[in-house]
Amino acid sequence: MTSIGLGSCVAVMIFDKKRGIGTMAHVMLPDNGGKCDRPGKYANTAIPILITELIQAGCTKRSLEAKIAGGASMFKSFRGNLNIGDRNVEALKKILEKHSIPIVGEDVGGTSGRSVYYFPLEKGRASVKRADGTCTDF
Amino acid sequence: MKLNEHQLDALRELGNIGASHAAASLSMMLGSAVDMTVPEVEIVDIAGLTRVVRDEISAFVIFEIQGEIAPGGYLGLFIPKTSAIRLTNTMLGMTDTDREINEMDESALLEVGNIMMSQFLDATATLLNIVMLPSPPDVAIDMAHAMLQSVIAEISGDINSVILFSTELVCQEHEVTGSILLMPRPPMLTDLLTLLDKVMNGSA
Repeated sequence: MTSIGLGSCVAVMIFDKKRGIGTMAHVMLPDNGGKCDRPGKYANTAIPILITELIQAGCTKRSLEAKIAGGASMFKSFRGNLNIGDRNVEALKKILEKHSIPIVGEDVGGTSGRSVYYFPLEKGRASVKRADGTCTDF
Repeated sequence: MKLNEHQLDALRELGNIGASHAAASLSMMLGSAVDMTVPEVEIVDIAGLTRVVRDEISAFVIFEIQGEIAPGGYLGLFIPKTSAIRLTNTMLGMTDTDREINEMDESALLEVGNIMMSQFLDATATLLNIVMLPSPPDVAIDMAHAMLQSVIAEISGDINSVILFSTELVCQEHEVTGSILLMPRPPMLTDLLTLLDKVMNGSA
């Protein structure tokens, strides 16, 4: 699975290492504020869906692990920037903790964009590529 | 979000006037002709932004639109990396194109963007009989999609599609291309359409 060009958005991946099954969402904002039209867009509504789908596929909640990547602040001095990137990361961490899902890998914050490549079959391996072409697994 | 043909036409015309002034100022700065494409107005689902831009490295100069209009709209100038380097080379009298973008390029791009976008807003505001000003600009050099997405996240809290107005500018002599994007939040879009309607019906 791939998520191209994440700026302030965050890719959240939840997977079951043993079963080689994983889900991924591309979260744009921290909180849905009561709207439910597009759950994958918000941190607080995306995670329950990712978990439910894994449980439906036969995973147990105890065996789930998560990775997150993204949440950059690309326009540093920009007045209008409300630090959505940081808020997305913070919201995701809080919600994952509430569901007792450990975060086993992260590549978040900073000022540069990322593309994320995710391989649930390979024990949840994930890799980011940055604008300068450097790739790192996390 | 739905717009009728009449509204799309009005927006295209607004963009046309803004972009042609921006193109004229770029042409003056480069000292050569700049062509522009007919503006496109497109309603893009936020999940489909990769259709508009990919992860090619570009410079993106971005402004918030301020003035006598509902707040929450951005104006941006996208220039692919190689074009950006040729543009600043032309302005600064340099020739090396096989290099990375440095601080000098960034500040030159900020200034070019500032001049062009001020022209864009000035021309459209005059048409609408209001005052519009760009905020101080900011620039990033990164993956195009990541930058556009960061701006869209600011305006898409309550909506799932954004209206993108875009024009491409091409300077053949110096092989420079760029595009102007106008991204209003719904209240600003409503204001723009109301003002345009007034102008077109001659009641302004």
